[in-house]
Amino acid sequence: MPIQLVVAQIVNGIIVGSMYALFASGLTLIWGTMKMLNFAHGEFFMLGGYLVFFCYAVLGINPALSTLIAVVAIFLLGVVVERVVIHHLLSHPVWQLTTIIATLGVSIFLQNLALHVWGPEFHNVPYFVEGVLNLFGIRIAYQRLLILGVSCVSIAALWFVLKYTRLGLALRATAQDADAAQLYGVNILSIYTLTFGLSAGLAALAAAMLAPITAVNPYMGLSPLLKGFVVVILGGLGSFAGAILGGILLGVVESLGVLFSSTEWSDVIAFTFLVLVIWVRPWGLFGVEERN
Amino acid sequence: MRPQIRSWRQHGIVIAILGLLCLVPLLVHNPYLLHLFILSMLYAMLAASWNLINGYAGIFTFGHQAFFGLGAYGSALLAMHAGLSPWITLWFGGVVAALAGLAIGLPVLRIRSVAHVAIVTLAFAVIVQDAVSNWADFTRGTLGLASIPPFTPVTLPGFGVISFGAGDPSASYYVALVFLAASTALLIGLASGRTGLALRAIRDSESAADSLGVDPARYKLMAFVVSSFVAGIAGAYYAHYLRILTPDSAIGFSIMVTTLVITLVGGIGTTTGPLVGSFVVTFGLESLRGLGDYRLMVYGVLLVLFVIFAPRGLVQVRLFVRPRAKRPHPA
Repeated sequence: MPIQLVVAQIVNGIIVGSMYALFASGLTLIWGTMKMLNFAHGEFFMLGGYLVFFCYAVLGINPALSTLIAVVAIFLLGVVVERVVIHHLLSHPVWQLTTIIATLGVSIFLQNLALHVWGPEFHNVPYFVEGVLNLFGIRIAYQRLLILGVSCVSIAALWFVLKYTRLGLALRATAQDADAAQLYGVNILSIYTLTFGLSAGLAALAAAMLAPITAVNPYMGLSPLLKGFVVVILGGLGSFAGAILGGILLGVVESLGVLFSSTEWSDVIAFTFLVLVIWVRPWGLFGVEERN
Repeated sequence: MRPQIRSWRQHGIVIAILGLLCLVPLLVHNPYLLHLFILSMLYAMLAASWNLINGYAGIFTFGHQAFFGLGAYGSALLAMHAGLSPWITLWFGGVVAALAGLAIGLPVLRIRSVAHVAIVTLAFAVIVQDAVSNWADFTRGTLGLASIPPFTPVTLPGFGVISFGAGDPSASYYVALVFLAASTALLIGLASGRTGLALRAIRDSESAADSLGVDPARYKLMAFVVSSFVAGIAGAYYAHYLRILTPDSAIGFSIMVTTLVITLVGGIGTTTGPLVGSFVVTFGLESLRGLGDYRLMVYGVLLVLFVIFAPRGLVQVRLFVRPRAKRPHPA
C-alpha cells in the first residue's frame, strides 16, 4: 500500500473528523448543562444546509455571509425550540425520556416540513473555493482545507468563550452544579436557552461547511446525528475536549477503514469501534469514571 | 401508593383487553382494519418487551429494532434457504434475537450512564442494519426480501384446515392474538413475580439490591434475553405475515421511534401501557392519513404536546391534580 495513500486518508480523516467535532461539541454542550440528548440536532444541521444552499447557490450571496446568515438563523431557531418545547419539560419527571421524545417530535416535524416545502431532491452546493493543493503527491481540495481552518478557528473561539468569558463561566458553573450556580445568581433558565441556541448554531456551521461536499436534502441530518452521538460517547459525554478528540479519532478510524474494506462498511467500522471502546472503558476515552 | 391493588387492577384491564380482542374478527370484516389490528398487536409485543428492560429494569435502550429485525430476517432467511416451515423457523428467529440480546447485554451491564447505554444500543442496531444492507449476496441488501413463505396451513380439530393466505386475515389475526397473549402472560409473570421485584429493586438502587443478595448482572441479562426473544418472535411473525422485508422497514430507526412513542403514550413501567399505547398510536397515525403531506408534521407536534401535558402516559393521566411548582429538573 503506497504511503501517500495512507497519509492522504489520515489527512482526510482529520478533516472530516474536525466537522464531526464541531457537530458533536453542540451535543456535548447540551448534555453537559441540561443532561439531555437532543435528537433534533440533525435537523438543525439539515436546515442550516438548506439556508446556505438558498443564500449562496440560489441568491449568490458570498459564502462567508451565507454561512453567517445560516448560523444566526439556526441559533434563533434553537432558542425558539428551547423556549417553546424544552422549557415546559423542566419541571417534569422522567426528564431524560420526555426530552428524547420531545426532540424526536421536533425532528419529525422539521424533517417533514422540509420535505413538504422543498421536496425530496438532492441540491448541490458549489465549492466555496476552487482548486486543489498538491503537497508531496497528496492532493487536497482547498474546500477541505477551508473546512479544517474554519473548524479550528471556531473550536478555539468556543474554547475561549467557555474558558474566559462571564457567559462561559456561568455555563460551566451550571454544568457542574445547577443548584449552586443558581444560588450564586446565575439565571440557569436563560443559560439553558442560550446553550440550546449555541449548540444549534454549531450544527448549522458544520452544515454550511459540509454542504458543498455532501449535497442538501431533507434526510441529511440522520447520519451526522448518529455519528455525533458516537463521538460524544467516545470522547466522554459532557467533555468538550473529548468531543474534539473523539471526532478526529472517529474521522481517522473511518478513513483508514476504507483502505481495508469497501465504503459501505465505514459506518459498521465506526459503530463497532464505539461498542468495543465502551466495553473496555465504559466512561469513554477522555471522560471521568462516574461513581454513583 | 398501593402497588398490590394497582397491579391486580392492571391485570384485570389486560385480560379485559385481550378478551375484547377475541371478539374483533366477529364484528370487523374489513381486511384492512383487521390488518391494522394485527400490526397493533405485533407492536404491542415489541413495546411490551422493550418495557421490560426499560420500565422495570430501568435500563434505557435505544436499539430494540435490532432484535425485531434479526427475528424477522433470521426466520425468513431460514425458511427460504432451508425450506423449513415458518412455524419452526419462527422460534429460530426468536433464538437469534435472544442471542443478540445476550451479546449486547454483556457490554451494557458495565455501563452506568443512561445516555451511554442509549447510544451503545443504538450503535448496535445500526451495525445490524448496515450488515444486513451490505451483505447483499445473502439478504439481497437494500432491495429486501420478497415472497417470504407464508405460514403453512394447519388442521385444527373442529375447525378443519385453516390457511393463512391473503384475502381473509382473520386466521392470521387469531395467531397474532395467541402470540400477544402468550408474550403478555410471560412478561407480566416476570414483571409481577420475584424477577420483577428484583428488577425494580435494581432500578431503584443497584447497590442496595446487591447488598441484599440480588445479583444485578444475572437479572439484567435475563431481562435482556427474554425481552429480545419476544421482540424476535414479533419480528418473525411480521416477516411471514407481510412476506416482504427491507432493512429499513424491519431494522430501521423508525421502528424504535414507534416503540418508544407507544410505550410512552401508553405509560412506561406499566403492564397496560404498551398494550393501550400500540392501539392508540397505530390507529391514531392511520386516522391522520386524511391530512396527506401534513400527517407527519402533525404527528411531530402531537408528540411534543403529549410529553408536555401527559409525560407519564395515558394509563397514568391524573386529571385535576395541581402541577408541581416549576423547578428545573435536569441537574
